[in-house]
Amino acid sequence: MRGLSLLPLCLAALLPGTLRAQGVASSNAQPVRALQASGLPWHASFSDAAGELGLDLEFTYGGTEAKRYIIESNGSGLALVDYDGDSRLDAFLVNGSRLEGFSDGDAPSNRLYRNAGEDGFEDVTASSGLGRSGWGSAVCAGDFDNSGTTDLFVAYWGPDALYRNNGDGTFSEIAAETGVAGLPQQWSSGCTFVDYDRDGLLDLLVTQYQQFDLETAPPPGKTSNCEWKGMPVYCGPRGLPFGNVTLYRNLGDGQFEDVSESSGVRDVRDYYAFTAAAADFDGDGWQDIYIACDSTPSILFLNNGDGTFTDYATEAGVAFNEHGFEQGGMGVGVGDFDGDGWLDLVKTNFADDYPNLYRNNEGLYFEDICVRAGLASNPQYVGWGVEFVDLDNDGWQDIFQVNGHVYPELDHQTKISETFVQSNLVYRNLAGERFEDVTALAGPGLAQIRSSRGAAFGDFDNDGDLDVLVMNMSAPVSLLRNDLSAGHHWVRFRLQGTRSNHSAIGALVTIKAGESSQSRAVMSQSSYVSHNDLRVHFGLGQAATVDSILVRWPTGAEETFPGVEADADWLLVEGSGAAKAQP
Amino acid sequence: MTRAWPRKADRYSVAVLAGILAAAAPVAALAQASDAAALTDRGLALAQGGQPQEAAKLWRQALEASPDYFPALFNLGYMHFSAGQFEQAAPLLARATAANPDDFNAHYLRGVVAQKLGQGNEALRAWRNALDLRPDHFQLMQIMAVEYGKGRYHREAAEIAGRALRLQPGIEDLHYMAIHALREAGNLSEGLGLATQTAKRFPNSARANFELAWHLQKDGRFDEALPLIRRAMELDPSYEEPHFFYGDWLVKQARHGDALVPLQRAIELRADYMPARIALARAHIGLKDWEAALDALDAAVQLEPRHPQPHLLLSQVHFRLRDRAKAREEKELSLKLRRQNPAFLEAVQSRPFPD
Repeated sequence: MRGLSLLPLCLAALLPGTLRAQGVASSNAQPVRALQASGLPWHASFSDAAGELGLDLEFTYGGTEAKRYIIESNGSGLALVDYDGDSRLDAFLVNGSRLEGFSDGDAPSNRLYRNAGEDGFEDVTASSGLGRSGWGSAVCAGDFDNSGTTDLFVAYWGPDALYRNNGDGTFSEIAAETGVAGLPQQWSSGCTFVDYDRDGLLDLLVTQYQQFDLETAPPPGKTSNCEWKGMPVYCGPRGLPFGNVTLYRNLGDGQFEDVSESSGVRDVRDYYAFTAAAADFDGDGWQDIYIACDSTPSILFLNNGDGTFTDYATEAGVAFNEHGFEQGGMGVGVGDFDGDGWLDLVKTNFADDYPNLYRNNEGLYFEDICVRAGLASNPQYVGWGVEFVDLDNDGWQDIFQVNGHVYPELDHQTKISETFVQSNLVYRNLAGERFEDVTALAGPGLAQIRSSRGAAFGDFDNDGDLDVLVMNMSAPVSLLRNDLSAGHHWVRFRLQGTRSNHSAIGALVTIKAGESSQSRAVMSQSSYVSHNDLRVHFGLGQAATVDSILVRWPTGAEETFPGVEADADWLLVEGSGAAKAQP
Repeated sequence: MTRAWPRKADRYSVAVLAGILAAAAPVAALAQASDAAALTDRGLALAQGGQPQEAAKLWRQALEASPDYFPALFNLGYMHFSAGQFEQAAPLLARATAANPDDFNAHYLRGVVAQKLGQGNEALRAWRNALDLRPDHFQLMQIMAVEYGKGRYHREAAEIAGRALRLQPGIEDLHYMAIHALREAGNLSEGLGLATQTAKRFPNSARANFELAWHLQKDGRFDEALPLIRRAMELDPSYEEPHFFYGDWLVKQARHGDALVPLQRAIELRADYMPARIALARAHIGLKDWEAALDALDAAVQLEPRHPQPHLLLSQVHFRLRDRAKAREEKELSLKLRRQNPAFLEAVQSRPFPD
């Protein structure tokens, strides 16, 4: 009876089957160790100066030991913005909440810290009017009313906030009266000011991560979308209702009009959207928008020049990874890492996956060269804030990436070798050819192990190198001060539109210094739902002068400026034809 | 991401099962000197005489007389299993293992039935019990390694494959099973160590050379990997993996022209090698040879019409040719296929086995 006649049945039973994914999209990617080290010295050393300079916020964002719902996990962005026009970068930090709420007066709020130079940062939240509590998620900045001061938009789970800068250190919240507050229960996750119709007024795009309702959200472990490697965790994003994108057109009379349908941005469906980055990616003089999406294809809205957009992310090669896998996209950095004048993208993704390094091929299409470029060595991290930044002023944009897992439960188990807190990363750009992990050489600030989310980049102490402000889940904010010893030259430009929007958001600056050419965009949001310094910073290496400056303004017009001396700040006013030295 | 899968994985199943079944104890020896035993023995004779229905009746009568009588429970369960009646077999075998927890065959068969019912975890639990009784049963370890892998319990798969390998280090395929499990578990450093040992033990094996090359490349040592890839190609000219791996690596390094020959060779050796066809198309795209890229992708579509990836790349090629209408058409088709066949382009997560 136990004969060989049973064999076919058993054989079929034991054949390997097809396996399906659970939870967050990932590619089960293995680390690809970097090629031989360059052996070059690394001169940018970071240390956390937040405490000593008075940045004392400890972020609140959901449960600290476990998270029951996805709303607790994504954290928030932050901004380095000169709100008072004193040429010093101030810090605006978006804060969260807890499901169980707070007693009256105890709720944490967003914070604005004024940069008082050598006296550190001063908490001016109360006097500024920016101290709203709730589940804040994203921030973007720009002078939407062309008043000469920088305004802020803050995205929330709940009504969004538009803060008009009154020019006297205070802000007025005017979202409802201008028509950009959104729906009461929507979960806005990203935003960017963008002059998409080239009328000189900043319009506003807001991404929604998903439709989230605590009343209907399933509890942890409820379905296959609620586990991570076998561990019950909060549900989503898969299985939860998709998000959306809203485009508001600035009418110039203090009102915005919702043009989401007529502009075509609602033609795309079924995604969980995070960071929105607006720039002219195809070089046609019109602002395009790239949106990093979680567990769904990312979006590239190319501007048709007639008030409409079409999503070409799949066709252009920036929707998926090189193998066609959907990814858990979080943050996106925009820069010209190879010095060819075209804006490239770096996107962070969920764990067990590589980031994407999308090289822009003359505005026609993108190619993901992450593995070849040496960025596939750390797939164990959940990446969030990321940016192309020339940290050592050698003239090549490096990459700074902050990381942190979404499940604090990982710290209370032993079966999965992952932790909630993770290291951040610094990759040195080797002449636009490849990147090299120099995290271990980047100072004590990179030895911090936190669960980070947003990151904003700018030179807060105006010493000529780029610093980093980092949001950490249930931990103090980090201000990673760059103490650069390379002796390289640098130059920085503040742009001021006249026909274009006053902030010049959307402008592309290209400089030539010696043999090298570099480009930078002025942007309202990138990294992870954060806002960087509006001034564009260039490392110059050994070059002590800039030979020429070309600005493509957001209106599409090009303007050439004569060269300038290095190691200084310059103001470029649209139509002026000459750079003006800044104090 | 490029993966090298075991080439001849199903060989394990045939050999292992044959061994296990041959080693099974005679059912008659399990019978007791009682009414139940007598009925069971008569049933066995009937079954061996080709009258299973009559045999089953007697075994059921035996169980009426003695509900926990192991031989009757086992035989009846086994008969249902043989007939493909897994739902009926499962409770009988559960009772059999309860009646005689020390019987290896009952636990093993219970595991097989659970697996047939799609209850992989239950199967593994039964096989764990079986393995406790026969801790040196490396063939069962192989089956369990495969099942752990199917359940994405890659660490457990690696552990048990390693255990089997320690028992039988001379079996070459066991090395590859363990290497594969370590790779899926993300343990590349241990995988590299094992691949190094395997290549040393089987220096004339194409597979051993290739596995070591794969790990060296992942370790950033492609210069060391390349001679091993070439050696694997020489040792077994019919082995397609090294050709694909080399070609795919060249594509990733933007050496698109160099990639054509190895990728075309891989496809010659295995016409249904979809990753190689995709990589070949990517090489043509890198060379801006749009016509060749379209041909390669059309061939991939013919091979697997449900696969979304060729259509995604077709969309990109048409976009670069500035034919946005065709690009959109292919994109829509790719997205539709992705929704219809999610397994093609979804990755798996490793996870611990739930104790």
